[in-house]
Amino acid sequence: MALTGRLALLALVGAGLVAVLPSWTTLVAVDALLLLAVGVDLALAGSPRALGVARSGDTAVRLGEPAQVTLTLTNPGPRRAHGRLRDAWSPSAGAAEQRHRLDVPAGERRRVTTVLRPTRRGDRRADRVTVRTLGPLGLAARQGSHAVPWTVRVLPPFTSRKHLPSKLARLRDLDGRTPVLVRGAGTEFDSLREYVPGDDVRSIDWRATARAADVMVRTWRPERDRHVLLVLDTGRTAAGRVGDAPRLDAALDAALLLAALASRAGDRVDLLAHDRVQRAAVQGASATELLPALVNAMAPLEAALVEPDWSAIAAQVLRRAPRRSLVVLLTALDPAPLELGLLPVLPLLTTRHQVVLASVGDPRVAELAAGRGEAAAVFGAAAAETVRLARARVGAELRRGGVEVVEGTPADLPPRLADTYLALKAAGRL
Amino acid sequence: MSAPAGVAEARTSTALEPTAAQRMRGLRRPALVVGLLVVVAVVLAALRSGTVRGYLDPDAATPSGARALRVLLEDRGVEVVRTRTSADATARATGGRTLLVATSWLLTSAQVEELAAARADLVLVEPTPDLLAALAPGIEPAEPVTVRPRDPACTLRAATRAGRAETGGGTFTVTGPAAASAQRCYADSGRAAVVSLTSADGRTTTVLGSGAALTNDRLAREGNAALTLNLLGAQDELVWYLPTVELSAEGEGTGLRALLPGWVWLVAVQLAVTVLLVALWRGRRLGPVVVEPLPVVVRAAETTEGRGRLYQRAGARDRAAAALRAASLERLRPVVGHGRGTDPDAVVAAVAARTGRPAVDVAALLYGAAPTDDAALVRLADDLDTLERTVRRP
Repeated sequence: MALTGRLALLALVGAGLVAVLPSWTTLVAVDALLLLAVGVDLALAGSPRALGVARSGDTAVRLGEPAQVTLTLTNPGPRRAHGRLRDAWSPSAGAAEQRHRLDVPAGERRRVTTVLRPTRRGDRRADRVTVRTLGPLGLAARQGSHAVPWTVRVLPPFTSRKHLPSKLARLRDLDGRTPVLVRGAGTEFDSLREYVPGDDVRSIDWRATARAADVMVRTWRPERDRHVLLVLDTGRTAAGRVGDAPRLDAALDAALLLAALASRAGDRVDLLAHDRVQRAAVQGASATELLPALVNAMAPLEAALVEPDWSAIAAQVLRRAPRRSLVVLLTALDPAPLELGLLPVLPLLTTRHQVVLASVGDPRVAELAAGRGEAAAVFGAAAAETVRLARARVGAELRRGGVEVVEGTPADLPPRLADTYLALKAAGRL
Repeated sequence: MSAPAGVAEARTSTALEPTAAQRMRGLRRPALVVGLLVVVAVVLAALRSGTVRGYLDPDAATPSGARALRVLLEDRGVEVVRTRTSADATARATGGRTLLVATSWLLTSAQVEELAAARADLVLVEPTPDLLAALAPGIEPAEPVTVRPRDPACTLRAATRAGRAETGGGTFTVTGPAAASAQRCYADSGRAAVVSLTSADGRTTTVLGSGAALTNDRLAREGNAALTLNLLGAQDELVWYLPTVELSAEGEGTGLRALLPGWVWLVAVQLAVTVLLVALWRGRRLGPVVVEPLPVVVRAAETTEGRGRLYQRAGARDRAAAALRAASLERLRPVVGHGRGTDPDAVVAAVAARTGRPAVDVAALLYGAAPTDDAALVRLADDLDTLERTVRRP
């Protein structure tokens, strides 16, 4: 049950009436009348309980884009359901207008649409739908809630997809689909063809030339059907906020760009998200299904405040990548956790796979390192330099162990990682 | 690359509205809480109502009350009658009794006039000028003095038997025909703190400048008890008049209710109903507040900043300088063509050759002693920057 401002206003008018006709009789009569009106209103209001509420609409949306979820209200009762309705969502679902007017005549149905602009990645759930139906006098209302479960999955925004066209152009250059044919643009033998002026003389295949009537050259193409395994560290270092978003979000962005590029290059891409336990995995998705499968798996990922278990991760990687693969570890280049966790198990990975470690760097550290002018700023700069030196040391150690290390700010990392991938592919190191 | 947005079919609902029985069950707890509150309020009110407080109140056991004095008087066979209205006080104050008037600043002029009809002996404690003029003509107030023990220095029997007592406060002078017979006691440079007059019909009027001697707090000091007992216990009955604010000067049909027209109360009731309805209208929410767990947010550079502040607090200029120098060297070495782990002398020589600076200066900058104060550290950072710039663009 709920009351309205109109009832309070009537009570105020009643106070005026009592002032004009001052007697207990007037007072009791006014209030009895109000009580009677409320009773009538409640009796004649449409039942919120009987109202049928159904939901339909978007179940997935990319972060930053709007989603629409529609409520269909069916009024099976004999009276018109008229009043207000609240379609409650969790705050980060970003529902602009949760409260709606409600007016469903008896036996009919109406639609109400809530527009969501989620502010955070992950699964955003609808809370209850609360209906308040007013009586014909508009003095009192009946109120009830319905549980109409709905989940909108908010996918990573993939802001780095703007880099994709330029990287794909580079890939086509490598692929030999352009007229340029240079040795070194791949290691996989493609075919023999006749020499044309302009070809690199080093690519002449003398043995084939001897058999044929003409000078033959070998053509090469980059390897295809390689295996790329993206490993996301969702441990405590991924929780750190860089700029406005957690480090994990930047890592997801880089992983998506690399996955998009690699799947276009004809490689198979798998994903593993792991801290102490496996958080998400995508395996064996076909090229067309890959990106939807990846963003879907990534959407609910949250960084956990635990130390990642690198030996478990290494075991998972070995199980998922039986033959030589490109293993991309997306983590933070923090000396302590890497030296204690990753370095001991690294030889297991590097002997069988090409390992790339991609780390989201913090521009704030560079900002601190440039601090000059007063003691506090210089001490900050010294601390930042200490951190950078330690990172450089662990980076050098990783490189000695045969790992490619890529570091960049959230904006720089995705294209840099893509470049590293292309360079590895060009060098035939996959 | 289009967003893999999904659309799903309608799902139906379940009503969450509780049934009447569930509602009643839900009300049980609030009802219990309200009941408990009422019980606590009643108990507290019952406990508090027993306490009487107030200045010179014969029932108050607080430091400023006068219960001790009353009990002592009753022990000595004096009947103490307490009254709160001027009419009652005047009616009781017949001959052969003593009328004590305290806190007279609460009296209205009409009440003062009424008291002038009293025929009893009078003891006026801290009287106002109006009261003095009406009840003790001839006694006039003078400048006040501090309350402290004084000697009586007069022939008033009550005072001489009591000896030293804490008196003071208001003082009085006596003028007119009464001046000759007046007893001026506890005087301080000619102004008496206690003055006693005996009128032609044998009534005595005693005026006290301060009620301090009567209070529970001070009764036991010096001769306070003796003085006050003698003054108040002179007759068998004592009327203790402690004025209260009497709203109706006429002393009939008192109270706020009588002053307001009847309809105001009715309107007030209806307005209370209105306020209740407004509260119910605004208080009912359209569904509960929705909560959600939020992810942990820690700035990634927080530890680095913290380390900088720790350096500063500990005054670790040596470590800070070493870090800055190591970072500079890391950047300089590749430029001058040396690798990691090169002999410092070779690096210094190469940098010196490239910049044209003396090798000693470069060595002092890159491998010198730790700076001795913060200003030197700031200078070192700037010098390293300058050196790096010149190495890059010699």
